[in-house]
Amino acid sequence: MSWEDSLLKQAREIIDMYPQKRSAVGPLLHLAQSKDGYISDDSISVISKLVGITEVQLKSVSTFYSMYKQEPTGKYLLSVCKSISCEINKSDEIIDVVKDFTGLNNNETDKNGLFTFEAVECIGACGGAPAMQVNYETVEGLSPNNTLKLCEWLKKELPEVVVAEEMQEDFGGYKSFDWAISDQSGTTGSVPGFQTLKTTKERN
Amino acid sequence: MNENVKINVNGTEIQSAPNKLLIEACEDSGIHIPRFCWHKRLDPVGMCRMCLVEIETPRGKMLVPSCTTNITDDMVVDTESDVVKKAQEGVLEFLLINHPLDCPVCDKAGECPLQDQTMSYGPGESRFVEEKRHFEKPIPISEIILLDRERCILCARCTRFSDEISGDPLIEFIQRGNKTEVNTFPNEPFKSYFSGNTVQICPVGALTSTSYRFKARPWDLKSVRSTCSGCPVGCSIELNSSQNKMLRILGVDNDNVNQGWMCDKGRYNFEYLNSDLRLTSPLKKINGEFQKTTIKDIYSDLDEILKNNNNVKFLLGTNITNEEYVSFNEFAKKLTDEEPSFYINDDLLYEGFFEDDIQLAKINDLNEADTVVVWSEDLKENLPVLYLRVRQAVKNGAKLIVFGHSNSTLLDIADYFYTDDVISKNFEIGDSLPMLEGVEKFINDKNVTAIIGKSTPFQADESIKKLVSYLQKYSNLKILNAFSTGNVYGAFHTLSSIKNLSDFSEEVNSDNTDVLFVVGADPIGKSIYSNQIKKNIKDIDNVVCLDLFIHETSELGNYIIPTSSTLGEKEGTFTNIEFRTSRIDKLVPSPGQALSDWEFISGLSNFMKLDNNIDSLEELNIKAYEGLAQQTKPIFDNLDKPSNLDGILNNFEVNISTSENSGTNCDYFVGKKLYGDNVTIRYSHSISLLGAKQFIEANNSTISKLNLNSTKCLLSQDEVEVPVDFIENEKLSDGIIFIPINRRNLNKFDFSKKISITPNHSKAALNVN
Repeated sequence: MSWEDSLLKQAREIIDMYPQKRSAVGPLLHLAQSKDGYISDDSISVISKLVGITEVQLKSVSTFYSMYKQEPTGKYLLSVCKSISCEINKSDEIIDVVKDFTGLNNNETDKNGLFTFEAVECIGACGGAPAMQVNYETVEGLSPNNTLKLCEWLKKELPEVVVAEEMQEDFGGYKSFDWAISDQSGTTGSVPGFQTLKTTKERN
Repeated sequence: MNENVKINVNGTEIQSAPNKLLIEACEDSGIHIPRFCWHKRLDPVGMCRMCLVEIETPRGKMLVPSCTTNITDDMVVDTESDVVKKAQEGVLEFLLINHPLDCPVCDKAGECPLQDQTMSYGPGESRFVEEKRHFEKPIPISEIILLDRERCILCARCTRFSDEISGDPLIEFIQRGNKTEVNTFPNEPFKSYFSGNTVQICPVGALTSTSYRFKARPWDLKSVRSTCSGCPVGCSIELNSSQNKMLRILGVDNDNVNQGWMCDKGRYNFEYLNSDLRLTSPLKKINGEFQKTTIKDIYSDLDEILKNNNNVKFLLGTNITNEEYVSFNEFAKKLTDEEPSFYINDDLLYEGFFEDDIQLAKINDLNEADTVVVWSEDLKENLPVLYLRVRQAVKNGAKLIVFGHSNSTLLDIADYFYTDDVISKNFEIGDSLPMLEGVEKFINDKNVTAIIGKSTPFQADESIKKLVSYLQKYSNLKILNAFSTGNVYGAFHTLSSIKNLSDFSEEVNSDNTDVLFVVGADPIGKSIYSNQIKKNIKDIDNVVCLDLFIHETSELGNYIIPTSSTLGEKEGTFTNIEFRTSRIDKLVPSPGQALSDWEFISGLSNFMKLDNNIDSLEELNIKAYEGLAQQTKPIFDNLDKPSNLDGILNNFEVNISTSENSGTNCDYFVGKKLYGDNVTIRYSHSISLLGAKQFIEANNSTISKLNLNSTKCLLSQDEVEVPVDFIENEKLSDGIIFIPINRRNLNKFDFSKKISITPNHSKAALNVN
């Protein structure tokens, strides 16, 4: 076992939330990703022992979903939306700016481990298209110019934590609606196992 | 509710049992719907879309996959409409986008569902001109299975088999979309006892086995249906040969027995047939050296010997057909007026439960039972396909109660698994059975099928009886006696009396045996009584061995007669664990002067003018089943009828007369692993290494109590020293140390005495015998 006790404790708490151990696989893989920035084979072995399914079954789940990263990402994961609303609102220009600035193609990480760029499907911010995420924190209503500023800011300031609201204020434009639903219960709330992982704001 | 459902397929009305899948109902009525992913014995997934058919719905005609659609009354189905044809062509065109056109070098070509269905249902040409996807050509996913990912069409048959049927999902889909591939976890090979089945059910040439790869083309193969004699389950098999060489064994779907599956040992333990080390001519020991001789010379020697000595004993293996057992029985009867002494090469043989008040179970009774009780040797290691049937029973809703410590592989699916608090380290059962939590509600007045046998050779007969009488008292009990060596059930009803190796090691020690026949048995290499038996055999003046190879036992013989294997080299019958008798058939010639056991005995009888009427196989076959009703007699004429290919069930009288084992105090749990160090596995090169590792198992706390600081340790007792690996097995109870006795030299210890386990510091530790 290569996980620290605190992480294992958290994992067991997640497992206890479900009637069947294997149901906890989703949040546990996120937990693994929060540790290393990607799903390592070591983490898979740990989770396999915890939930009692084979390693290859976990590998199968983790490789199926593109948001479970198979390789370490850079300090900043830049996910630019390319789905229909953003596409109509010229997300290709945003993508070009990010590509030019970072010199990266889709799903590549730079040598310094600073940026990873990916063009992704809908991130749920259609009203504020075009939009992108930095480490899954969303910025809406982007212009090519602001996008460049955002990238430069990241490279210069190297903020330890990025928060959606701050980036939106400095670099964003038109915001669709308050997409961060505060109600944590009922059908609009997040899945119980994921709640333990907390949002960026809650963590910092 | 159970009335048949009527459906209309292509304008014809067919009837089928309710709750069937459309594809299955059509198949039963002779209407073939093409498919790749659907397999009768696996859950449907609807992966490949090849089985699309049109059905009429309130919203008009609709394409549905027939493998995920249940039939309903008055369903109207069209399996051949233009729309269906277009759909099939489309599916095949898509499947062939990335499938390589390497049929000329593919082992599957000629029996490939993709090839065949492309011919029958395909579009003829493809519109795709792009480069096909490429993967590294075959990657080994285990020691015996190779995977060619380019050929895979993602039907999920192999992954579903390993998940649903064998319960060891070590292969899965990795990635998604057009990058999807089947693979294992890095450094975690597809180490399954049932992996060969995935090769057989793969609808393309993606999975191949090392033993058959590039060996033959399917249209060159000769084939015959036979029965596997590896263990008493007696799986129905198809033997394939080309140019008189056995090349492949396939499982045949026998609904009563193996349902198409096989274990890998049964499937791949055949290459020894072609080994250069096979005995091909009779040998006679002169001045301690074996020298070639003729059968006639041996006959005249034996004639002389047998005329002058009358204490003759037989030590018989279990890869012997019923007819051959009869020939030994008839031969022995003529030699002496006393009860002939037959010892079966099996450490775990005991009297079992065959009395008149016992209801014997069939394998299929597992599916009918409310509760399945298991207390026997490790089923997965010793009766692998029965293990699959237990898994199936549990999947169908039966409750599973397992008594320890041997069947730890059933721990994951058992509803109750009783170990240390109920079963002592010495495999004795406590008195508190009815008080066990959980037992009552699953046993009392329920239909219980119990798989009962000895877990370890040292177990007292009494403790098993305790469990059986308890079950008998409270439930409607059927018993499946679990013995685990070859055709031992055939021996039960053909030989006039049967004893075990423990009896052999004691009885032969004390009396003056003059002549011993050892037939296809290597007790010295395999039995826990090895040392005593070796001494016994050395003391006997005339030892006649009938065997395939020279091994630890046959090398002590004065004569060795080369024999044919039950795997495709001779004809006969085999009786399985539920007393189902089926055919063993011949496909390839025996090497050199090798004879079937019965041919040798028959020839010897004639030479000695014994006049015992065992001149032909047919005579022996009829003799084997005297007293049975003509209808159910498993004689060749009956067995060859199409309706009897799956074998014929009979009630036989069983003649076991082993002496009672009152339990030996043993500190270790000794048992067999599927792959061992016996001659046939050693000379089958694909699997030869699988049984080579010497190890012992225990759980973590037991290991830590021994203060070993590495996994390498040394077992020693007197002058026997064996370096072994310590393997952690958390499924074992505290204090239990498992020793696999069918690994090299591990049967040489005296288990009733202490074996010291010390760290192995010396890298160059050698086996000292």
